[in-house]
Amino acid sequence: MKEITLAINEKQVKGKEGDTVLDVCRANDIYLPTLCHLEGLTDVGACRMCVVEIEKERRPIPACTYPARDGLVVRTHTEKLEKYRRQILELLFTERNHFCFFCAASGECELQGLAYRYQMDHVRYPYTFPALPTDTLSGFLVLDHNRCILCGRCVRICSEVVGNHTLDFARRGWRTVVTADLDQPLGESSCITCGACVQACPTGALFSKVSAYRGRATEGKFVRSLCSLCSVGCDIDVLVKDNNIVRIDGADLTGFKGQLCVKGRFQQVYRENPRIVTPLIARKRGVVRPASWEEALNLVATELKAYLGRYGAGSIAGLVSSRCPNETVEAFAGFMRDNVGTSFVDTLDGSTYRTLLQGVTAFAKNGQGLEIESPLEAILEADCVLVVGADLLESHPVAGCYILRARTRNRARLLVIEPRQNDLGVRADLWLRPAEDGMETVINALTALVAGKGKRTGKPRKGISAAGAARDAGVDEALLEQAAEMLKSAQKAVVVYGEGILNKEDPKLVASLLELANLINPDGLKVTSIKPGANSRGAWESGAVSQKGLAKASPRLVYVLLSDDEVRDGDWLAQAEQAEFLVVQASYASPLTEAADLVLPSPIWAERAGTYVSLDGKVGHSQEVLEPPPGLKDDKEIIQELASRL
Amino acid sequence: MGKVKLATAWLDGCAGCHMSLLDMDEDLVAIAGAVEFTRSPITDIKDFPEVDVGLMEGAIGTVAHEEEARELRKKCKILIVLGDCACFGGIPSMRNRFSKEEVLRRAYIESESTKDGKIPSSPEIPPLLEQALPVSAVVKVDCFVPGCPPNARAIKYALTELLQGRIPVLPSEMMRFD
Repeated sequence: MKEITLAINEKQVKGKEGDTVLDVCRANDIYLPTLCHLEGLTDVGACRMCVVEIEKERRPIPACTYPARDGLVVRTHTEKLEKYRRQILELLFTERNHFCFFCAASGECELQGLAYRYQMDHVRYPYTFPALPTDTLSGFLVLDHNRCILCGRCVRICSEVVGNHTLDFARRGWRTVVTADLDQPLGESSCITCGACVQACPTGALFSKVSAYRGRATEGKFVRSLCSLCSVGCDIDVLVKDNNIVRIDGADLTGFKGQLCVKGRFQQVYRENPRIVTPLIARKRGVVRPASWEEALNLVATELKAYLGRYGAGSIAGLVSSRCPNETVEAFAGFMRDNVGTSFVDTLDGSTYRTLLQGVTAFAKNGQGLEIESPLEAILEADCVLVVGADLLESHPVAGCYILRARTRNRARLLVIEPRQNDLGVRADLWLRPAEDGMETVINALTALVAGKGKRTGKPRKGISAAGAARDAGVDEALLEQAAEMLKSAQKAVVVYGEGILNKEDPKLVASLLELANLINPDGLKVTSIKPGANSRGAWESGAVSQKGLAKASPRLVYVLLSDDEVRDGDWLAQAEQAEFLVVQASYASPLTEAADLVLPSPIWAERAGTYVSLDGKVGHSQEVLEPPPGLKDDKEIIQELASRL
Repeated sequence: MGKVKLATAWLDGCAGCHMSLLDMDEDLVAIAGAVEFTRSPITDIKDFPEVDVGLMEGAIGTVAHEEEARELRKKCKILIVLGDCACFGGIPSMRNRFSKEEVLRRAYIESESTKDGKIPSSPEIPPLLEQALPVSAVVKVDCFVPGCPPNARAIKYALTELLQGRIPVLPSEMMRFD
């Protein structure tokens, strides 16, 4: 990029062509106050705090929207400008209720910070005291119009980054307010409660109910960690005070990164589920008593040895949640294989992996596996996204938002094939809702239609007609044809598929979908499968997966390392519950721990550190954010102590 | 040099600023050595004498506040206002989005704990102004120390600057609105 030179405050400084004057100032450590600017969002010059004097311009100009060019002469801190800035601040304070003493943002508010900087110890203009409402009915968000300075950062992040465009401005002039959809309360709007607006808000106009008044940034410490709720793997900054999580921010929120979802940002701030804090022994089912670690670990060792002696290693199975980091998964798998000697170790989502891997290898035919998949960011470059068998805005909302962002920024077209009601389908250009068993028919029909009619290469399938397929799958024929047209006209199509395909345990279905994906993207395959667990890929690739499911193993003793994962339905569940002896290592009480003969406590995500591999293969690290409750042991330590007893 | 004479007034506020004034700990001894407290809620003297410095806490919410503010302004050479109410309007001004009638009706008749209430009308009770205002909207103010309440350090800074003959402006790092 071409370098440019301009004079700022009588000093020659360098910038790049395309920079704004504000960009050049920031790059050269020249401070300019801003309120409406947030890196990565379109600058709009709303707050006027960054006004500068530019020679040959008749009046002060906002630096954030003025393109820098060679030879500009800029002054940033003349007496006049500083006077204007203080005046702007005073006017902002008079416009609404900016009294700080009961504001959730006090201490971190950018408006307050600038008022301090400009020593605004009084205001020379009359206050307007408008009667504005506060919207508190959303699950986690509060929108207090009285605190709003109309900078529009929430509006821009909602549309440009989240891609949902729930927020916008309503009305005009000094009556302008931020609003959701067609002036609806946030809780009844299209808002997905991702909280990006809360993090983007420079004042206390948007704040989180779970974090407000629980502590300020200055009173605690931020720990950079990794969200382990799903396989997207978002970086998080966790604010901790007195061993409590105050709030969770997206790391380095800008217009490009730092996005989180309702679960990662709000739902895991605190959970009310009862924790398991001591080992529990249920000798007779239904009668549970707390036990010491010594007694509990001895009991597990005794039972393991007894089953080994009586029935051999084949009678024992180990299952581990893929929410656990690599280190834990490896320790557990190693223990089961080397110390116990059983060959049956599986992740709770092992069947997903078997289906996926067989499907991928059947398609690739060259021995390649999951490495044929693309990074999630490929979605952001797409001109067409095909989502099959996934409810992304529910299960992996940040991935879902990548699609929404591609739609807002690149006008990407969105085709959803999903039988269930889902929010992405509602937002799609075209939503095919086949019957539950009609997925394969639709995929094969689309492949035939795309290959048959267009310039694309690929073998046209005989005997597939749009009418027949539409009838068989229960979709509208015209929609099916339109979907094929949409895929054909795409240049950079990306395919994302999830549990709706993988749970069918049919590798052929995966392979057919990959063929379609291959056909519609002439520049090479762009496809990503949505893995269920935060560390599914890490757990699978570290070898903690069995060749077959638990149903085919019929073990007598089952050891489940669930940790803080939820118990999802799966073929393993009934099998585990029917085992003669069930050991469950878990953080929270659940029907599974109630069915167990012995329960060992396990730390939650915030109490452990470890390595995770995201759904698209990115390696991330979580940190220990909180001290675990007294008496708890790390999962790896428990496994080591068991190993020493065998 | 004789002691600097000081008077304080407690207008539409909660007394928190006066508490903060007393919260200067051992610095209070040094200040007391240099300052003579005349009329103040702390001394319970009723009338303002001529003073060097007037300190004021609270917004102007009633005609009595307005009168007291004008009186102290007249009697003092330098007027310092303490706290968010006096500087900006603060909590008392939160009523300004409603009319005076609405506020009185809500407080004396409609409040959940009130039965058969009526709006007080005794001539001894100073009537509310239509709006609660920052002191500087009514009289000229020479120095502002915001905060809710202002930090004792900030008050000390302001008084020390004054004693040394300078009109204080609170530096950024001492500014607090909460």
